[in-house]
Parts: sequence; structure tokens; C-alpha cells
Amino acid sequence: MGEFIAGPSFSGRSAALMERLKVLAPAFFVGPYAEGALSGLSSTVADEIAIYRAPARVHTEFAPLDFAAFAARKPPTLSGGEQVLLALHCFSLSDYGVIGIDTALEQLDPANRDRALAYLSQGDFTAALIDNRLDRPPGWSTQECSGGPAFACDLAAATRDLKPRAAPAIAIENLSFNYPGGRDIFRNASVSLEPAQTYRLIGPNGAGKTTLFKLLAGVLAPASGTIALNGARYAPWREGNRIFALAAQNPDHQWCGATLGEDVARRRRALARYDEITVPGQATLAALAALLGVGSLDQHLYELPLVARKRLSWLWPLSGALPWIMLDEPTIGQDRTMRAALAGAISRLAALGHGVVFITHDDEFAATIAHRALRVADGTVT
Amino acid sequence: MTPNGAIAFGLLVIAAAIAARDLVSLAVVLALLTVFALASRRSIVSALLWSAGIMLPLAAFMALVWVGIVGRAPHEIAAGTEGSRAAAAAYVTVVCTRLFVIALAVQALFLHFAAWTPLGFVRALTAPPVARKLLVLTLSLIETILHAVDRARTALIAGGIVTRQFSWRNLRHGWILVQTVWLIVVVIAIGRTRDKWPIEATLSRLDTALGASAPRLAAADIGWGAAGLACLIAAIGLR
Repeated sequence: MGEFIAGPSFSGRSAALMERLKVLAPAFFVGPYAEGALSGLSSTVADEIAIYRAPARVHTEFAPLDFAAFAARKPPTLSGGEQVLLALHCFSLSDYGVIGIDTALEQLDPANRDRALAYLSQGDFTAALIDNRLDRPPGWSTQECSGGPAFACDLAAATRDLKPRAAPAIAIENLSFNYPGGRDIFRNASVSLEPAQTYRLIGPNGAGKTTLFKLLAGVLAPASGTIALNGARYAPWREGNRIFALAAQNPDHQWCGATLGEDVARRRRALARYDEITVPGQATLAALAALLGVGSLDQHLYELPLVARKRLSWLWPLSGALPWIMLDEPTIGQDRTMRAALAGAISRLAALGHGVVFITHDDEFAATIAHRALRVADGTVT
Repeated sequence: MTPNGAIAFGLLVIAAAIAARDLVSLAVVLALLTVFALASRRSIVSALLWSAGIMLPLAAFMALVWVGIVGRAPHEIAAGTEGSRAAAAAYVTVVCTRLFVIALAVQALFLHFAAWTPLGFVRALTAPPVARKLLVLTLSLIETILHAVDRARTALIAGGIVTRQFSWRNLRHGWILVQTVWLIVVVIAIGRTRDKWPIEATLSRLDTALGASAPRLAAADIGWGAAGLACLIAAIGLR
């Protein structure tokens, strides 16, 4: 038995889902990000499963991954998609009769997403679902939400006045990386990224797409290999990131302050040390933030709805301050109108000379952007 | 060996280390502890290195103060005798060896349960249910803080504010990292307690998860417990 909660962003779908789950409680909940997907009580994947496992089997088991291989991993270190799959696995082993999912399936690769939807549709439990990429799942009842416009966002205006930019070419040579005690994520991977081009990283959940972003931004250091910008050696893990404007999959993984003003001021100061970067003024960034739906720099970031935070995470990529743009699952939680507007903004940035790399499992969104697909799998990028 | 027996043995060894007053007594305790660590059938090199790493800063500081500056041992000062640097060095050696033994005791316990998950360890402990729940919550809070550190570093490095490797800007902006970590911890805690936990009654899952019965003691516990007790008596007797 499935209940689909439909409507555009800010129409009150999440609130409606929570109200529904409160009526049906106790119910298993899978929120859009880790805090909502994981129990927060476990130190390992094995413990996460043990917490939810019921003494007797109630549902059909959903096991799209070999969770035994992940048993010793810390749940928050799994990729976003793997966390969602782990949550669904835990539900399938539990004795909950109801599951509520708030846009979390948007993080899954197409194969796992199909598996998850098929599992949720089987009918021996109640599933309540919010998903921006589904219209009406066949056989599911629908609750329509409609709310007034909020956090109005004008991406066309946000990118209208950007100046042309000559981004450097990036050459990644023989890159190798693995997490401590884990398998090789990259083994001598090499790839070239040309400016004024848009690249889409594709690959199954956990393949290393976000890891590649973290390596390029200097968050992680490779075991071996080099990165070069226009032929010059670049080591962001030592020198700091001065190339990539990153919009993280979970926007809360990128804030550098409690308020928007604090975040903006700290980033501006950090970028001001590089001569080659023209740092946008505070007023310019405030105006851009207003176009993304947030009118005041005094706005506390964590008081915004998640969808608004996600849009605000595009602030630095859309500011044009940095030559390369990295967007990790930018469409999560965004309705169809906003996804179309974002596709237009990405195309405009590339046309101005920026390099753009994005990760998405949203084929419909990706099809509206001229791009080259790079497959991340088995330790390589091809 | 069960967690109950291991903790009892660890407490006995730590008590023996505290009671020991000279290097001979500490050597007896250390010998027993080394055998215990080796009995885990895992490499004890990292345990020894960690223990040494914990002890060495104290050793350097105490050597500087007692041997370098004061030049006498505390008991010589109390007795009003002239004293010597050799006696001060012997005093520093005993104190630092004691710390090394205590650190190694904790490391040796970890070695024995390295293959266990934290939940499995807590489940096997003989303690009131509330205490075991609190232990799980404490461990989860530690995990949350570690996760928050990772998230904050990701944000600040990607934002160009700090770097992954050592840099002066990391020192200058260290306070931003601390502030960001605590902000994230609060946000994560609020996120869980507002949405997921009330809807799921997640905490009540622990009643079942921790409820499975486990043996209170094993034969090995008795043996190691007796050895630990003998060690404590010897340490007291050699005073």
C-alpha cells in the first residue's frame, strides 16, 4: 500500500509526510540526508542493522548491496546512496509496518532506485513517499499539496551579468586513493577536463564520484598521482582550494558559518589571498543570495528549509568567482521548474568559459544539458 | 573471554600499577599485561606505541622539572635530605612506567575485543539496562562529534579557509573549525531528536538490541582474574 505525496517545492509535502507518520507511528523514517536516514546510535554498519533487526522476520528482505562487506564501516562514511540503501535494508529487517521517505530515493542510481521503488510497491506494508522525479506511481494513492510561493528563486537573473571566464585545463594523472582499511577507490586513474565544457560523473552508488570531488577540492589527499592546471602542478590538499566552487550533495556539508553573512565573509577573506581571483563584493553576493531566495545576510542557515538551503548552496558556483564549478546531486529536493532553471544556469556558466562537473542520477535533468559523461567505476574514470 | 571478565582484569591490573611503588613491582605488572595482550593473538606493536606516545610527553615534562630543575626526588624533599638527580630520575621513571602500564592495560583490552562491534560489547556487559543504554548513547555522541569534525573540515577546506595539511592558516582559523564542529553537532542532534527518533521510537529499539542474553563470565575470565588479583597482592606486598 503506497501513499504518494505530490506537489511543488515549499508546498508543505514534508510537513504532510511527518503528520501522516505521526498518525501511523511508530514508523520508519528515511529523511533526505544522513541525520534522517541513519539511527545515529551505531558506530558500525553491523550495529545499525542489529538495532533495527526484529526477532522474527516480518517483511521480505531488501538487500541491494553486500552489507556484510560494509559491516565494520562507520555508517556516516558511506556514500549518500549507500546510506539510503542501508536504511531501506534496516527497515526490511525490522517490524515496522510503515515507512516514510522524504526525497531520499533521489540519491540512488537508476538500478537501485528501480529496485527500491519495486520493493516499496509490493504492498505488505504502508509506504509514504515524496519524490520529485515521480509523477504518480501506478497503484499508489496520492495526496496533493499546494502551498504559496516561498523563497522565490530566479536563476536566469542570477547568471545574467556574469563575465566570461577562462578556466584552466585540468589534467589528472595516475591518481590512486583508498580510504583507510578500505578498497581502492581509484587505481592510477587519469582524465583530462577541458574548460568551457560540462562533465557529468556517472557510476553506481559508492563508486567514488563524490570522492573525486573531494580530491579535486583538497579535502582528501591521493595516495599517489598528480593534478595539473594548464600544465602546472596543483596540490590543493597542501595549498588550499582556489579553483573549485563546490555545491555539496548535502548543503549542510559546506557552510563555513552559522549565518549567511558569516559564511560569505569567511569565504571572501579566504579567497582574497589569491591574486588571480576577483572576489565578489559582499553586496554583490547579498544580491545573488536574494535571487536564490534568501533576502538577508543575517539569515541563520540552519533555520532555512532544506530545499532553500540546497538552492543557497549554489551561491558560490553561480557567483563566477572560481573558474571550475562542482555540483554534487544538485537537483535533490528540487521540483521540475527549478531543475529546468538550474540546467539553464549550468549551460550559461559553461558558455562563459567556466568548467563544470556535476554528479546526478537524474537522467531527465542531465539530458537537458550538453555534457560529456565520465564513468567512475572499478577505480577508473573513463 | 567476556567483556565483564576483561574489565575486571583491567581494573585489577590498573590497581596493581597504582599500588606498585618501585620498578620491580611495575615490571611484574607489565609482564602479566604483556602476556595478556599477546593472548589476544593480535599484533601488540601499535598498542605499545600508543602507550609510549601517551607517556612520553609526561616523561619529558617530569624529567625537565624533577631531574633538570629540582634535582631531588619528592620523598627526599619531604625528609629534608640533600637528595640527588639519580633519585629524581628513579622517581620520574616509576611514575612514567605506571602511566605506560595503565595506558597499555586499556590498549590490551581493546585488542581482545577488536573484532567486536561496540553494540555487541555493550550487549555482553553485565550492567543495568539504563547504564547500557547510556553507554550506547555516549558512544554515539562520540561518533557524532567525530563525524562533525569530518564535516566541518570538508566545508572549511572546500571553502578555502583551511588546508588539509599543516599550514599557518589552519592555526589562525582553528577557532572557526571548533565553532563549526559544535554547530554541526547541535544541528545533527536536533535533526535526530526532532524527526527520526520520535517517529520511529528509535531509542526503544535498544531495549531489544541490548536485551539478548550473554554469558556473564567465561572460564578464561576466572584465570585472568586470578592472575590479576595475584598481581595486585604482589604489588601491595612488595611495597
